[in-house]
Amino acid sequence: MKNDWLEKNTFHYSEFNDLDRLVDEKRKKNLKISLCLPTLNEEKTIAKEILIMKSELMTRYPILDEIVVVDSGSTDKTREVARAFGADVYEAKDILPDLENFKGKGENLWKALYVTEGDIIVYLDADIKNIHYRFAYALIAPLLFYDNVKYVKAFYDRPIAIGKNKFRPTGGGRVTELVIRPLFSLYFPELTQILQPLSGEYAGSREVFEAIPFPIGYGVETSMILDIYEKWGLDVIAQVDLDKRIHRNQDTRALGKMAFVIMMTFINRQKKLGLIELKNDLFREMIQYNLVRDEYQSDIFKIEGHERPPIIEIPEYRHKFNKN
Amino acid sequence: MDNYLDKLPDFVNTVKSIQETIITNIVLIGQIPSPTFKEKRRTQVMMERLAEFQVDECSTDGYRNPIGIIRGTSESKPPIFVVANLDTVFARDVDHYYTIKENSITGAGILDNSLAVGVLVSMPEIFRTLNLRFESDIVLAGVIQSIGKGNLRGIRHLLKTWHTPIRGAVCIESSGLGRFNYYTDGMIRCELECNISTVDGWEYKFKPNAILVINEVINQIQKLRLPQKPRSRVIFGKTSAGFKHGMIAYDAMLGFEIQSDSDRMVKSIFNDIKDIIDGISHEYEVDLKLKTISSLNAARLKFNHPLVKSTVAVMKKLEIEPISAPSESEISIFLAKKIPAVTLGVTRGENHHQVNAKVEIEPISKGITQIIGVMMAIDKGVCDEKRLA
Repeated sequence: MKNDWLEKNTFHYSEFNDLDRLVDEKRKKNLKISLCLPTLNEEKTIAKEILIMKSELMTRYPILDEIVVVDSGSTDKTREVARAFGADVYEAKDILPDLENFKGKGENLWKALYVTEGDIIVYLDADIKNIHYRFAYALIAPLLFYDNVKYVKAFYDRPIAIGKNKFRPTGGGRVTELVIRPLFSLYFPELTQILQPLSGEYAGSREVFEAIPFPIGYGVETSMILDIYEKWGLDVIAQVDLDKRIHRNQDTRALGKMAFVIMMTFINRQKKLGLIELKNDLFREMIQYNLVRDEYQSDIFKIEGHERPPIIEIPEYRHKFNKN
Repeated sequence: MDNYLDKLPDFVNTVKSIQETIITNIVLIGQIPSPTFKEKRRTQVMMERLAEFQVDECSTDGYRNPIGIIRGTSESKPPIFVVANLDTVFARDVDHYYTIKENSITGAGILDNSLAVGVLVSMPEIFRTLNLRFESDIVLAGVIQSIGKGNLRGIRHLLKTWHTPIRGAVCIESSGLGRFNYYTDGMIRCELECNISTVDGWEYKFKPNAILVINEVINQIQKLRLPQKPRSRVIFGKTSAGFKHGMIAYDAMLGFEIQSDSDRMVKSIFNDIKDIIDGISHEYEVDLKLKTISSLNAARLKFNHPLVKSTVAVMKKLEIEPISAPSESEISIFLAKKIPAVTLGVTRGENHHQVNAKVEIEPISKGITQIIGVMMAIDKGVCDEKRLA
């Protein structure tokens, strides 16, 4: 296994604290940068994210050119609040309305490619309680300063020695450590160097995002890494330590569903790449059980497994961005 | 004089134009827990933000109060201080993450006093946006160890070691808009602890209960005849006792404050309370310990002091109704040192001292403008001729 990637392509956000340098580099390269926040009922956290990013990375340091919220149909005031704080707000179903309508985070990310203008796109989850503008600028910086880097992923704990013979674990979430890391170890040991492959914060160049398919739901982060790795290799990927991230904690059942989707995405990718052969199609239902009074009742979570093709294949997109 | 007053209404809109930056500062600083005596992380963030906003000097004093200085145009005029306390009543493990809605910010410590610290840090950017230069140096000080057992140690140290005269000061409090403090009561803050031995011994015919002992202390204090002039009172503010419902309480604690606009009266009431406690301790054969955890002397600006008059004029110009009451915050240390000072509140809020404290966003720009108006008045010399009476 080639393992010098971890050393070469891993950064700490503090390496990029000089924001004037980022602004200069962006100007020099004549690039546009978009921030996209996919949302579903995030009225409690969305305003803070928009406000901090706008104040620090638009008004004070002109690094971001636009902040776009793509919403999956929130029933709370997410869209109203986001608009009041100055973001461009879209409901996913209104973007490319002639296409079949799906609902999910991956759908929002994919459709954001159509409505944003940036050469670089930063995706941040909208439920980050301790949001700080480093979450955006530290993901953008490697794309500006390292020509080989096309995709940057966040991680949040420092897997470094904190004293003689003292190490902290990398602190990946439960799904990372129980599902994705074992799978990567079995099939793509190189990818285990990506410390938190499921983190919801990443940035990349448009040319990368437009050329890969997007699963509609949870599997989008997994498929993104596998597709980028397969198409361009590990060297185009970098990761940045953003220190600490506080977000909503999910219960084991919700994580079970997430793990199910991620495993399904992974196996489908393996099959597509010709790395495994399946004699039967995968079942598409995650079955969990509840004890209701004295009876066990099944709770079935059905995954359609829809996936959007690379957006560059969509005529409206090619037309809008002159990609003929 | 009226000249600067006339500018103020327009300032409100200009300040509002950078509201995002001000709220960002409030959030980035306020979300760092900062219980009294553990303000180090918030101090660090405040210093980083002050440096970001390019103050001329940025450092901590010998007591680790973070300070930013904006140099004035005059080399001879003494500095103007703007201060806000950095500590909050909430422990580190309390969730300090704020929720922002269209016209509110909610979260622990926002009202006491995180919003004010965010405003303090935003001052350099506000001055730049308003194109304001002062003759005096402006000293922006976040003071540590202010509340409760902190006993205003941060500001006491800062003023004790500051080597030049000080022209005047504005103390910022998050709540409420219209708050205008220019005098402070004499005060002694005490904690009374009652401890009863858990071992049954010959000395008790009937085992005393710490709750009932404290209750007796309260009853006897309430029987004290307190004068209406000088205005005096005893406030019972905190108590805790016991372990479980079915067991006699062996420990109890009572926190109270003696307040009066006469220092002599505070001392006299304190002595009366001490006698009550000694008597009860003897009669009930229990251990009662009275600790003084903080004290302040009464001090005031007269209502006809030019700083008071100018502050009222600024508030009236901005259509803010001044509401005055005695204050026990940083202002008392300034006034005790004969430095003219006022305390002003920035915005309206609710749920004081609770984790879901909430402030209104809309009045913030007006609240900030009044602070700037008062600073301009001090810079024009309203504190220069008439020192404290």
